[in-house]
Amino acid sequence: MNRRHALQSLMGLNKGLSEPVSAPRPINVGLAPFTGPWTKEHAAHLLRRTMFGPNLEQINQAVTDGLEMSLDKILADPGIPDPPLNIYMEEDPNVPIGSTWVDAPYINNPDILDYREKTLASWFINAGAAEGVSVFQKLIVFWHNHFVISEIADPKFVYKYVRTLHENALGNFREFTKAITIDPAMLRYLNGNQSTKNAPNENYARELLELFTIGKGPLIAPGDYTNYTEYDISEIAKILTGWRDRGFYTTDPDQAVESYFQASRHDTSTKTLSSKFNNESISNAGAEEYSNLIDVIFEQEEVSKFICRKLYRYFVYYVINTDIEQNVIEPMAQILRDNDYDIAPALRALLQSEHFFDDLNKGVMIKNPMDFIYSGMKGLKMNFSSNPFERHSFMLLVGNALTPLQMTPFSMPTVAGWPAYYQEPTYYRIWINSVTLPYQQNITDGIAWAGFNVAGFLNAIDPLALVDELPDPYDPNKVIEDLGLILFPNGVTENQVDFLKDALIFGLPDFEWTTEYANYIADPDDEELANAVSTKIKNLLATMMKLSEFYLS
Amino acid sequence: MKRRKFIRNTSAALIGLPAALNGLSLSPIRQSALLNALNPDSDRVLVLVQMIGGNDGLNMIIPLDYYDKLYNVRQNVMLPESSLDHFDNNLAFHPSMKGIRGMFDDAKLKVIQGVGYPNQNRSHFRSTDIWTSGSPAEEDWPTGWLGRYLSDNHQEFPTNYPNTEFPDPLAVVIGNSISLTCQGSVGNFSLPLTDPFNLGQLASGGDDFVPDNLYGDQLEYVRLTIEQTNAYSERITEIANLGSNTQTYPDTGLAQQLKTIALLLAGGSKTKIFIASIGGFDTHANQVQNGDPLQGEHTELLQKLSGAISAFQADIEGLGLSDRVIGMTFSEFGRRIKSNDSNGTDHGSAAPLMVFGSCVNPGVFGANAEIGDEVGTQDGVAMQFDFRDIYGSILEDWFEVDKDLVKGFLHADYQRINILNPCLDPISDTSKIAEESLVVNLFPNPAHSYVNVHFESERERVSVTLFNAEGILMDTMLDRSLSAGKHEMRFDIGSYPSGNYFIRVVCSGLRQSSRIFTKI
Repeated sequence: MNRRHALQSLMGLNKGLSEPVSAPRPINVGLAPFTGPWTKEHAAHLLRRTMFGPNLEQINQAVTDGLEMSLDKILADPGIPDPPLNIYMEEDPNVPIGSTWVDAPYINNPDILDYREKTLASWFINAGAAEGVSVFQKLIVFWHNHFVISEIADPKFVYKYVRTLHENALGNFREFTKAITIDPAMLRYLNGNQSTKNAPNENYARELLELFTIGKGPLIAPGDYTNYTEYDISEIAKILTGWRDRGFYTTDPDQAVESYFQASRHDTSTKTLSSKFNNESISNAGAEEYSNLIDVIFEQEEVSKFICRKLYRYFVYYVINTDIEQNVIEPMAQILRDNDYDIAPALRALLQSEHFFDDLNKGVMIKNPMDFIYSGMKGLKMNFSSNPFERHSFMLLVGNALTPLQMTPFSMPTVAGWPAYYQEPTYYRIWINSVTLPYQQNITDGIAWAGFNVAGFLNAIDPLALVDELPDPYDPNKVIEDLGLILFPNGVTENQVDFLKDALIFGLPDFEWTTEYANYIADPDDEELANAVSTKIKNLLATMMKLSEFYLS
Repeated sequence: MKRRKFIRNTSAALIGLPAALNGLSLSPIRQSALLNALNPDSDRVLVLVQMIGGNDGLNMIIPLDYYDKLYNVRQNVMLPESSLDHFDNNLAFHPSMKGIRGMFDDAKLKVIQGVGYPNQNRSHFRSTDIWTSGSPAEEDWPTGWLGRYLSDNHQEFPTNYPNTEFPDPLAVVIGNSISLTCQGSVGNFSLPLTDPFNLGQLASGGDDFVPDNLYGDQLEYVRLTIEQTNAYSERITEIANLGSNTQTYPDTGLAQQLKTIALLLAGGSKTKIFIASIGGFDTHANQVQNGDPLQGEHTELLQKLSGAISAFQADIEGLGLSDRVIGMTFSEFGRRIKSNDSNGTDHGSAAPLMVFGSCVNPGVFGANAEIGDEVGTQDGVAMQFDFRDIYGSILEDWFEVDKDLVKGFLHADYQRINILNPCLDPISDTSKIAEESLVVNLFPNPAHSYVNVHFESERERVSVTLFNAEGILMDTMLDRSLSAGKHEMRFDIGSYPSGNYFIRVVCSGLRQSSRIFTKI
């Protein structure tokens, strides 16, 4: 190796800039529909990537349903979820317990803000925990990571923002962008509410192009980012002047959380975009002008590719090389455009593609912390309380657990969202490190062993019921294999079966498990027999969830 | 063989000693002092303080010669002149930076003005990537600047780390995520930690062979992270228990991070690089509050920064470690000269950078940011120093990296800057330390169709480049060898739109950016 090569190697440059560090992956399948045999491994892969924490029953159902029907269920629009409620606060004169606070004014009492913040957080976390076979909540998290807001202090604003996500998650990307552009929380977060004709604030204009719609290409000339220019940003800032929000932390019962257009602050000149947007002129259209602008931006095909790449990184894998770009992203973007930017058909094409089900794409994703927690809790059918306060208390705890794992909803590190979805070269690997791992093992130990006793309710799995529903609970090898289907992306290897059997039966011959399990089945009310079996299953599950394989999807 | 290599190669044989000394229950400070004596060279430490969001340098170190012009264009955020903490005729610190001002007076602070890079990128993410990777603005490099340096000395990493020679992580981030500055081509050298007393042992085992595909890569990554966390955690806790701080720190996030770093150093950590961070510098709005420029987010941030760094420096001195530790701040960009209507400032270009510690060559380096009579909305502060020259100078003088290697890690045009004090750097040439400056005259100014550039050079390669006020490189007007002597050169600038531009001349190891205003 000569010096130049040695240096290039040190710098990682000889690997190619966006290629994976490992051997190149042969890509010979594109967006054509998957037509191979539909197995439980395929069904599990589909569910793991599209929903939070599929359990065995759901996987089996998806096997029975087949790919088409499974996708129908996954992509069905569930409608607008119910809003968060006042679950426990007796001192809110405007909101009885059991009613929602999303339209109610504040009073001068910090406890009111506090309970609303907490019930918003638990409501958001619970949405993922309570959901069945659906991509909806995972998409909400995707869109939150796309149209980022962060640290907005009024939970009514945050709720309204989440509602905008709910209304559009499976809708039309262009209309979604319009809605989010004048969303009150977004107006506050990116200073759109302070942008006036005399001092247009460029913050939102810049992110609208760079992060929300068309993306930044290479710098090819001063101020020219291939897809747009600095000049476009300043013109767009002018187009978006005049929008404001009101109702922030208000005590006025007649003042809703809303955005509004104030013509006197709007720049009424004719704005002209650069050649990147065909030098399109946008003349004064007052409150409609932002909508005209977004129509113009969406005329660029790059917008469709940009969002498809982001969806790909969220649902499939982070490396987008030339093959993937040509064979997956471009045809997917074509579908998006053919459907006038409706999201569902393009997402469906990706999720039913040969490429998605390529064996080489299984297990290449490091689960994000939410997915990690839910895949243990929901995959193993943890029993959550149906009592609202107990439920709220536990979901709040789960939400708090996300903070040291770097995934607190509504508190993003930057406007680009979580680095795991954009930061080269590490991407998903950012989720895992010496700080997060001890927390993660604590959580999985809690799931497997004691459960979580919160507000007087024990949120725990039922290890016996879990094993009872396996196809062959008497055979320890099969027990491990079948649990592996739920917990690992590529099942367990033969050597791992031996290691895990040690965790289950501590080096005893297989028939000892069969005997013990049969004894318990013969007399399930005998607590001693049940506990003996249960403890062993818990140890097995705790051990399985500590394996690196559990961190992958 | 270079002295550096020699010492590194022998230190393995000495590694048993500190453990033996533990049994004698010496105080932690004396233990680490003994470690110093055994291994004086290989334990130099760099502490990076990342100011996330883009720091408004013009509100941190205020150019007094342009106070009035600055006031004209950023009245709503501008500190009153009476409040400024003058430290020479020309410059003042923000009044909330008492601690850092004290370090300046004690000759423990180096301020380098106008640090940036050609073709300033104003995206947070991209510009942070540029600062952490040390790449040119036009290229994406997948490794970090410190990662490349560490890779060179630790080519096998992460295999067989930690080991007896390198028992500690090579880099530590106080926080929850790895730092991209330490990204090598194979692994990342930084270990994140928040509480050194609470790094639990992780369960491991049951690892079967790793398949040779992308799944195998990710699996391997998780396994290795688990193994390394375990390998380092016991040692870190042991060190944390051995160490103790000598100072009380403010109760701020950054101060507590720096306190942890000092604690680990006190306990004998051999980590070379520590990274702390403070967020919130993206002050588009409410940089000042309640109509009072002395109140608001930026004031609070600078107070936190100053309090944390000065407490850390005092602690490091109290621990007897001041010959081993320097620190450096950085931020992805400065902010614009003109303020916005939201009592804030938008993404700009260059900004001052601070290097601190007993070993710095103290003072201010570089000219004040030049502010013209007319300032465009987009105008930022001109770059004087390429950030890679600062990185390179630290690698060369502090970590004693060969100059050619530094060029390879950073850029071929790397030029050393005298950041460090020669008394602690026995191999460096003291004659280099004198503060020199390059005198560049431009006329006419304002200019119409052409500008004359006057300067003096040795017989050497000289470059003259033109930047616009957004930090974009417009033209390389000259880049070739010149004879020694005075030069006057005429350059055509008639094709550029009216506005502020900067002509940057680099020669004799010096560089100067001078403002020119053009009118058509």
